[in-house]
Amino acid sequence: MRSLYIWPDNPVASLLVLFLVVQVVGYAARVPVHRGLRKLGAALGGALRLAGRWLRSASDELHRRNREVLLEAGRAEAEARLEREFTRLATTFTTELKEYPALHKRLDESVRRVDEDLKASALTPPEAPGWPEAVQAIAALPKAGDRTVQKVLDEIHKSAVASEKKALAEYRDATAKRHKILADMAPVWKTIKGALEQVQHAVTGTLGASSKIDGYMDRYEKIRRGEDAAERGLAAGSLNLFIISAFVVAVAAVGAYVNFHLIARPMSELVNSAGGSVAGLSVSKIAALVIVLMEVAAGIFVMESLGITHLFPKLSGLPVSRRRVIFLVALAGLFLLACVEASLAVLRENMSAADQALRMELAGQTSAAQQQVQAQLVDRIPVVGQAVLGFILPWILAMIAVPLEMLIETGRHVVGRGLGLLLRGAAVLLRICGHLVRHGTAVLAHVFDIVIVVPLQIERLVRGDAASSPSPVAPAALRNPTERTQPFQAPRR
Amino acid sequence: MTAHKLAAAAALLLAASACTDGRSQTRAVAVLVDVSGTYADRIPDVARIVRAGVLPGIRPGDTFLVVRIGEQSYADDALVKRVTLDERPSRANAQKLDLARELDRFAATQKRARYTDISGALLFASEHLKKTGAGHRAIVIFSDMREELPKGAKRTLEKDELAGTDVLAMNVKRLAADVNDPAAYRARLADWGKRLTDAGAASWKVVLDPEELAGTFTSEP
Repeated sequence: MRSLYIWPDNPVASLLVLFLVVQVVGYAARVPVHRGLRKLGAALGGALRLAGRWLRSASDELHRRNREVLLEAGRAEAEARLEREFTRLATTFTTELKEYPALHKRLDESVRRVDEDLKASALTPPEAPGWPEAVQAIAALPKAGDRTVQKVLDEIHKSAVASEKKALAEYRDATAKRHKILADMAPVWKTIKGALEQVQHAVTGTLGASSKIDGYMDRYEKIRRGEDAAERGLAAGSLNLFIISAFVVAVAAVGAYVNFHLIARPMSELVNSAGGSVAGLSVSKIAALVIVLMEVAAGIFVMESLGITHLFPKLSGLPVSRRRVIFLVALAGLFLLACVEASLAVLRENMSAADQALRMELAGQTSAAQQQVQAQLVDRIPVVGQAVLGFILPWILAMIAVPLEMLIETGRHVVGRGLGLLLRGAAVLLRICGHLVRHGTAVLAHVFDIVIVVPLQIERLVRGDAASSPSPVAPAALRNPTERTQPFQAPRR
Repeated sequence: MTAHKLAAAAALLLAASACTDGRSQTRAVAVLVDVSGTYADRIPDVARIVRAGVLPGIRPGDTFLVVRIGEQSYADDALVKRVTLDERPSRANAQKLDLARELDRFAATQKRARYTDISGALLFASEHLKKTGAGHRAIVIFSDMREELPKGAKRTLEKDELAGTDVLAMNVKRLAADVNDPAAYRARLADWGKRLTDAGAASWKVVLDPEELAGTFTSEP
């Protein structure tokens, strides 16, 4: 501050002169300063606004592309699902309809038998009409005195009673036969019932598949029309799948880490690491890492050749025979690697025992070290456990292909959406910055006016104007009447 | 996509191999053993502590050396043993057993020295450790930490002489004068700490418990 003093011995006079100079120069430079601030605000604010707009449009474009990709993926999935359902329905029809002629024949046969049996059961001997009444009438006749007549009547009575008994016996026989025929019909009824149940099952299954297909078709139509609800559903499903597959892949990564550490140490016994290291990893560790990665790769090929995943379209397009060859080769490789891991795990356990024995021997406990080695040889449980773990882990790692495919498929959408949100946020931030810059320059102009308030007040008194001095570069027409009192207009869009 | 990822990982590994120090993960440990008259009675203990506390923690690929602190410790004959362990653990274990036997022989046959050239041993060990190119270097001193240089010997620890090297003083013997005046003992150790830190030592530590020493070398660098 002292360097600004004109007369260092007289700071008051120096400051006064300095103040006057500032007032005069400031008043003289008011117009260009206001104009400069206005231009600066417009330039910076405009640039920020443009950048914000560009980011917003980029975000919209990204969103549009994401939407297209999502709908396309959803459409492809819906088509594949429909195709699967149609195939299933066709298989159902083929299976059920193939059996239907035999079923129909069996049903016809059963119905015919039932019909015959019914007819057979209907053939009953007619009951002698009026016989009981005739017998009763004869029996009820008064005993006449004529013995001959009496004898004839008795004979008639006896004959009538005998006939009645015979008719009754025949009737009972016929009824018994009818009951037997009806009883014999029971298995036929069961057959008919079973056949009808089969028909009902087939029809219900077909109806269920049809209703499922209707649902899928409805969803497919919504996706094809690009409805927002369909997009939201697909996005939610995609996010869920992404989270789940990311979790599974993370679990598999931990498994791979454990697997790596299981075999890294014994690999140092097999691989000579005298050649140095790569990226801070010794050659033996890299060899272990390669084994783990090869297991994952073999697992991916197994899944691909089985048609469970579709990471490599070329593999999917190969003939079945070639795919089978790839499957067998990958499976054999996986088995081999699992065996290698199991043996390495055993070696690791042996090395641990040797280390323990060495530690004891170095500590001067030679006999204890020998006992330790003996104990390790006797107790094989940890060795077996490690070997089993070493054998199983590669197979579990091989399953990573499925969640990996899901992660890749859904990751594009999730990352794209996240990026879109980021761009939109940045656009909003830039617009806010643009506003701040524009209004900040306006504030600076006001601050400038406050600094040169003395000449401005003198100017006002000279002009006799009660209102404050307007900004020399303010636009003539103000959009907002309330801003008329503002001496400086912030640059507008 | 997976193929691309694998290719990228392979490219990264190859790129890393081109610009990585091949020995950066290995360690180098120097054990400096005082054979002067005031400390000679502790040498059997030193052998025992090194066997039980240092050797088990040395890993395949690491370098281990034993340097005698005597009259002229900067001389070549101060080096008792220098071994770089094989990368194969079984071979490294055999080398450790050989080292242990060598230490026992050293403890049994060592003659007493008239002087205690600690600085010379530090300079000697520092040179050897630097040549190993190991990523982690450590010096373990078994001494009473009272330096007595022979006439004409000049020892100056340069500013970066021990750069990146951890220095530990183990089993520091309390002399008769120290027992009478513990402040002198503490001042001596503090003075060494300052000298070593000035020489760029990454750390300076006085270890009293052999178990602690074992823990230091068992843990990863």
